[in-house]
Amino acid sequence: MELLDQIRASIGDKYVVTRQDAQAWTRDWTDVYHWQPLAVTRPANTEEVQAIARACFAQNIAMVPVGGNTGLTGATKAQDAIMISLDRMNAIREIKPNAQVAIVESGAVLDSIHQAVDDHDLVFPLIFGARGSAMIGGNLSTNAGGSNVLRYGNTRDLCLGLEVVLADGQVMNLMSELRKDNTGLNLKHMFIGAEGTLGIITAAVLRLYRKPLAYVTAMVGLRQLEDALPLLNRLQNETGGGVEAFEFMPRRYIERHIEIISGADEPFEGAHEVNILVEVASTRASDLQPDESGTPKLQAILETALMDMISNDKAQDAVIAQNEAQRRSMWARREAAAEITVGFPGAVDTDVAVPLEAVPSFLKQMTARVQKIDPEGYEFYLSHLGDGNLHYTFYPSDRSGRFKEPITEAIEDVVLELQGSFSAEHGIGLSKRNSMARRKDPVALEMMRAIKTALDPKNLMNPGKVYPEPEAR
Amino acid sequence: MKVLVPVKRVIDYNVKVRVKADGSGVDLANVKMSMNPFDEIAVEQAIRLKEAGQADEVVAVSIGVKQNQETLRTALAMGADRAILVVATEDVHADIEPLAVAKILKAVIDEEQPGIVLAGKQAIDNDMNATGQMLAALTGWSQATFVSELDIQGDSALVTREVDGGLQTIKVSMPTIVTVDLRLNEPRYASLPNIMKAKKKPMDEKTPADLGVDIAPRLTIVSTGEPEARAAGIKVGSVDELVEKLKEVGAV
Ligand SMILES: Cc1cc2nc3c(=O)[nH]c(=O)nc-3n(C[C@H](O)[C@H](O)[C@H](O)COP(=O)(O)OP(=O)(O)OC[C@H]3O[C@@H](n4cnc5c(N)ncnc54)[C@H](O)[C@@H]3O)c2cc1C
Ligand SMILES: Cc1cc2nc3c(=O)[nH]c(=O)nc-3n(C[C@H](O)[C@H](O)[C@H](O)COP(=O)(O)OP(=O)(O)OC[C@H]3O[C@@H](n4cnc5c(N)ncnc54)[C@H](O)[C@@H]3O)c2cc1C
Repeated sequence: MELLDQIRASIGDKYVVTRQDAQAWTRDWTDVYHWQPLAVTRPANTEEVQAIARACFAQNIAMVPVGGNTGLTGATKAQDAIMISLDRMNAIREIKPNAQVAIVESGAVLDSIHQAVDDHDLVFPLIFGARGSAMIGGNLSTNAGGSNVLRYGNTRDLCLGLEVVLADGQVMNLMSELRKDNTGLNLKHMFIGAEGTLGIITAAVLRLYRKPLAYVTAMVGLRQLEDALPLLNRLQNETGGGVEAFEFMPRRYIERHIEIISGADEPFEGAHEVNILVEVASTRASDLQPDESGTPKLQAILETALMDMISNDKAQDAVIAQNEAQRRSMWARREAAAEITVGFPGAVDTDVAVPLEAVPSFLKQMTARVQKIDPEGYEFYLSHLGDGNLHYTFYPSDRSGRFKEPITEAIEDVVLELQGSFSAEHGIGLSKRNSMARRKDPVALEMMRAIKTALDPKNLMNPGKVYPEPEAR
Repeated sequence: MKVLVPVKRVIDYNVKVRVKADGSGVDLANVKMSMNPFDEIAVEQAIRLKEAGQADEVVAVSIGVKQNQETLRTALAMGADRAILVVATEDVHADIEPLAVAKILKAVIDEEQPGIVLAGKQAIDNDMNATGQMLAALTGWSQATFVSELDIQGDSALVTREVDGGLQTIKVSMPTIVTVDLRLNEPRYASLPNIMKAKKKPMDEKTPADLGVDIAPRLTIVSTGEPEARAAGIKVGSVDELVEKLKEVGAV
């Protein structure tokens, strides 16, 4: 094929991958979407990305950028398209410890960024289960969230600058390190969360933070979910905003984790309905100072707050990690979420956000609604409770698929009633385009399409994703 | 029977170790410190002996800096009954040598008269694997090292040891010094109510002088260095490329 030969000439034969060698790029992480790309191209630098884009643009061939291929919405499906894998563009070009920024190529694996900045006692605080495979370009393109949004924000908040190759091969240089730059529209934000539909991110300037000197991590069994927010607020007040994560796992989650993950254990001696993983951290050496009983200050704050809840009968039990190994095993339980949720065919899997105080109400309303639709069905959920994000999944009682639409609509109804979002962090991709058509403000949708057309007039960048067809409305 | 469990405060084994610029040792300033993992196993075993009715008191002892209190509180939160802190230095970088530790433990044994000592097989900071053995020599008691199973039967104990290439079962007379290995048990987590109770459990503070032990160092550290960095790997894009690379390095 002429196009492939042209690309081979620009980037080298062996970096244009087809047939068996492209196997890894023919399905998504959830194994719901399957496809055959024309080829997977693996450019080494921005110029090569430009060459690929120019060739595809000239011949009107669709392009799908791909990072770690861990996205959960089918956004990397690339039937008859050229995939542009950024995996070879994985350099961490520079870390500036004093300015606390890192300049990286978009194929850098998230975990490799974590490790590189750790050498400077810094952190890049974007953390979630797929960090060993997901790449920063994919994180930016999905505006990934994760477990530390509460303290540090989404990927969007962690990005200072970008370099992007547009569909026609032009490079847009937005590689700013500036914290202040009001020179017109801030275009980088359009590409963050665009899921590869506007251009190919090739490099980024990331914001780093000082690595905490100490973490204190606990599991708490609460009597009711309503008591969680007051606990979070108290800990924020007493630690000066030091809560890194506040995650909710119901009893069902704990049980399923033990069932599926070998070696997994109960977090407590008894069983509790509301299990919270809470982590506080501090960069201040004074927070490590022991009190008269030998307990470091930061830990004492957490101990006292949790003990008060136990004394007031609001919490049933708590355990505090005594070393890094115990802390990691607490986190491993939470980070197994994707593994233990996937695997049921016919499930309705969602990623919603509601205002912080509305989480208990969302769950109560959902239980009542699904009871009416499919009383034999099964609810499964967990939540980044500190930021109001819930991963709510419903497993219908049969695989006919007849419950899918009514359940999805019920979830969307409740979410919108509570003024929430039907996609908090995973994005739209293919799996939520119907929801977009039904629920997104029509004027907002029209403006999104206008931006898409302005940047990608031939509709070659990851076509068919994110924006619903106009007639679908 | 009373059980004595020596516990050492060491750099947490999941923390990346950094060598001090002058090569005099590992940088421990503001670094996460935890109980030596093998000692956690020893504490767990002591508590299990108590739960099984084979022991009536578990005493944890730690030798080092004042901050070792925190380590002892962990032992108390797991279920030890009381603690003894021997403050031997103010400097977190000063490692008390195995012989000095063994002499201090010998003095504690003279006071406490335990029926068994459960120690870790080694501390993961200096990897000496010596304290338990030296203590056995000083006390004249029997010793069982690298223990993965322990069964106390009156005035003797049947223990399984992990040795190169297999397991060895030996019988030792009580009282005895046991050093425990990784597979003896899985230590428990400390629950918050137990952590709070631990703060009220007795903790005696002593110095080596109180116990009549001279801890002056006998060893000199010549230098401490970083291990050689592993050469970076490469990612291959296809099976053909893998084969090609393996041929290049002469592996196939
Ligand atoms: C186990 C697991 C846990 C997860 N946990 C979370 C979580 O807690 N929070 C959360 O937000 N998400 C989570 N996710 C989903 C998350 O969105 C992705 O894992 C990650 O951000 C995507 O990175 P990736 O490199 O794998 O992207 P891919 O899957 O390769 O791509 C995702 C999208 O980005 C586009 N894209 C990729 N690279 C580029 C680029 N360089 N330029 C332009 N477009 C590009 C693709 O075309 C696609 O549309 C999880 C996924 C898994 C498997
Ligand atoms: C608390 C504790 C208790 C321990 N108890 C025991 C014990 O009872 N018995 C015992 O034998 N050991 C014990 N150890 C040692 C421990 O088992 C080893 O340190 C560990 O197995 C080494 O694994 P690593 O990946 O950390 O080692 P590394 O030093 O990173 O690697 C060791 C070797 O593994 C290979 N390797 C590692 N990673 C890769 C890779 N990604 N790809 C290809 N090859 C790789 C390499 O050949 C390398 O040289 C203990 C350690 C601790 C901290």
